[in-house]
Amino acid sequence: MAGVSSCWDREELLSGYLDGELTSGELAEVVAHLDGCTDCIAVFRRIQEARSLVRQLPDLDLPSALAAALHLGDLLSAYLDGELSPQDVEHVGDHLALCAPCRSELRELDAARTAVRALPRLEPSLEPPPLGASTARRHWARRAVAAAAVAAAIALVVNTGGPAAFVDRDTLANRHTARTSVEQGFAVIPAFATPAETP
Amino acid sequence: MSEQVIPAWEDVARRYGRQIYNYAYRLTGNRDDASDLVQEVLLRVRKGLASYTPGSFEGWLWRITRNAFLDDIRRRKRRPTTALPDVERSTVLTAPSPDEVLAQIRLSDDVQGALLKLPVEFRECVVMCDVVGLTYEEIAAAVDIPVGTVRSRIHRGRKMLRGLLTWPV
Repeated sequence: MAGVSSCWDREELLSGYLDGELTSGELAEVVAHLDGCTDCIAVFRRIQEARSLVRQLPDLDLPSALAAALHLGDLLSAYLDGELSPQDVEHVGDHLALCAPCRSELRELDAARTAVRALPRLEPSLEPPPLGASTARRHWARRAVAAAAVAAAIALVVNTGGPAAFVDRDTLANRHTARTSVEQGFAVIPAFATPAETP
Repeated sequence: MSEQVIPAWEDVARRYGRQIYNYAYRLTGNRDDASDLVQEVLLRVRKGLASYTPGSFEGWLWRITRNAFLDDIRRRKRRPTTALPDVERSTVLTAPSPDEVLAQIRLSDDVQGALLKLPVEFRECVVMCDVVGLTYEEIAAAVDIPVGTVRSRIHRGRKMLRGLLTWPV
C-alpha cells in the first residue's frame, strides 16, 4: 500500500477485528499491538476506510426485465385467499411495500376476486324447458351472458378503483367476508343496479 | 431460511435475486453481465434443488453463485470478447473536460473501479463480506478455503483497494 506499511506479521487480524471475527485471545493481541504502534494504527485507519467505502456502495435495484421474472406471481392470489404460511405472508408484505407493479397486480386481482364473489347465487328454474329450444344453444347463451357480466364487473371494479393506496391483508379479508355474507350480487355495481324510473 | 426445509425455486429467486445481482455487479462492474450471472445462478439452483439435501442453504447457494462467476471468467478467457465494464466505459474512453471530470468524480464509481482491479480471489472475499454480508465462516464454505485464508484475503483486498484510491477519504 502506497506510503503505509505495517511492522506486524499478524496484520490481517486488523480486518478480523473490524469484522468482529476475532477470538478473545486475538482481540487482546490486537489491542496490545495497536497501543503505541503508529504505523499499524495508520494501516488500521486505511483498512477501516476501505471497508467503509465498499459497504457504502449503493444497493442496486434489479434491472426491470430481470425483476419481472422475480415478482410475486401466484403468491398474490394465495395471499388474498389467506393460503400462505406466516413466513410467506411476511415475504409478500415486504415485497409489496417496495414493488409498485405487484401492488397494482394485487389490486386488480382483488377487484377480480371481489367481482366473482359478488355474482348472484342463482336458483334453479322449476319451470320445464320450453319445447323446441335447443339445450346446447341455451347453455351457450347462458355462458355468454355470464362471461360478459363477469368481464363487465371486473372492468368496472378495476377501472373505478383509482390510484388506491396499498391495501393491507386485514382490510381485504374483512371486505371479502362482508361480501360473502351479504350476497349483494350485481346490485353493488352501478351498471347492474335496478334501473331508475326514467321519465 | 430454515436449514431443514428444501426451499422452492421461486422462493430462492425472490429472496436472493437482488442480493445475487448486487454480488454479481460488484464483481463484474457490468449490468448485463450481472443479469446474465443471476439467470445462470438461478438456473443452476433450479437444477440443483432436486438433489439438494437440507443443510447450510446459504453456503450451498453462494458456492453455486461463486462457481457460476468463475466459470464465466474462464469462458471469457477462452473467448475474450468482453466489453469494458460500465465504470471503465464512462471514465476511460473519453477525454474529459474539467466539468466532466467534476461530474465523473463519483465515489461509488471510483470504489467500483478499484474493486475491479483487485485479483479475483481477493475481490470475491471482499464483496462477500462487505456487500453480501456473509461471515468469514460462510465465505469459507462458499469458496472452500480455510477461515484463516478468508481473513487474509479480505485484509489484503482492502489494503490493496485503499491503495488504489488516491484521493483522501
